[in-house]
Amino acid sequence: MSIDAKDDTAVDAEVLRNEVRSKYREVAANPGGEHHFHTGRYLASHLGYDDAFVASLPDAAVESFAGVANPFSLRSLHRGERVVDVGSGAGFDSFVAAHLVGPEGRVIGVDMTAEMLAKARSTAATMVISTVEFREGLAERLPVEDAWADVVVSNGVINLCPDKRAVFSEIHRALRPGGWLQFADIANGNPVPAAALDNVDLWTA
Amino acid sequence: MLEEAGFAGVRIGPPVDTFKGARGEKNARRFAVYGYSFLARKLE
Repeated sequence: MSIDAKDDTAVDAEVLRNEVRSKYREVAANPGGEHHFHTGRYLASHLGYDDAFVASLPDAAVESFAGVANPFSLRSLHRGERVVDVGSGAGFDSFVAAHLVGPEGRVIGVDMTAEMLAKARSTAATMVISTVEFREGLAERLPVEDAWADVVVSNGVINLCPDKRAVFSEIHRALRPGGWLQFADIANGNPVPAAALDNVDLWTA
Repeated sequence: MLEEAGFAGVRIGPPVDTFKGARGEKNARRFAVYGYSFLARKLE
């Protein structure tokens, strides 16, 4: 199994970011469209999220969810914890986190796609949640102060970052000593040819 | 890579067939791609 097969490739980081932005702009605007992955309530149930809680969320909070597993499955969150959600998209995992940490906790969702940020902020306002904030930023340069977070979560994002070492280093900086990293991502059991790794179109295909 | 970055106690959950029934299932099968949950802790 390899999660870092795409590391150290010849893919230009900014070209890849633009490709990812383009893909997830589509997911924000047209979540039920023709994507190569599942989205929304079906996906959340498939990945083992709490059906009753997901049912309580408005459509806008769930429909653009495009995670790959459940970052809360190996460890739940505790009341009062401060959480950073790396690549928060339209906010689904941030809203789950806010529910788990309660009114004493805080959640900062970070995303680089303007359409996702706008959707997440609009949904948070509709839900009247004051413990969640969405900030524009990159996984490699999180807009969070040193050692602020008790927990960093992420779902299906790190595999789309060409420099994974930089991402993990940045998450490490944002976490307090003893803090938790709980993330979900894809990993491949069979090797991916080098030519495919260097083809930016295939990273989001 | 996680340990190099200063994390310890890495745990990996069971594979999840993330792409089952999705348009990307064919490529996922080709490269044995599954979703996983990961847990690690920043050293004190």
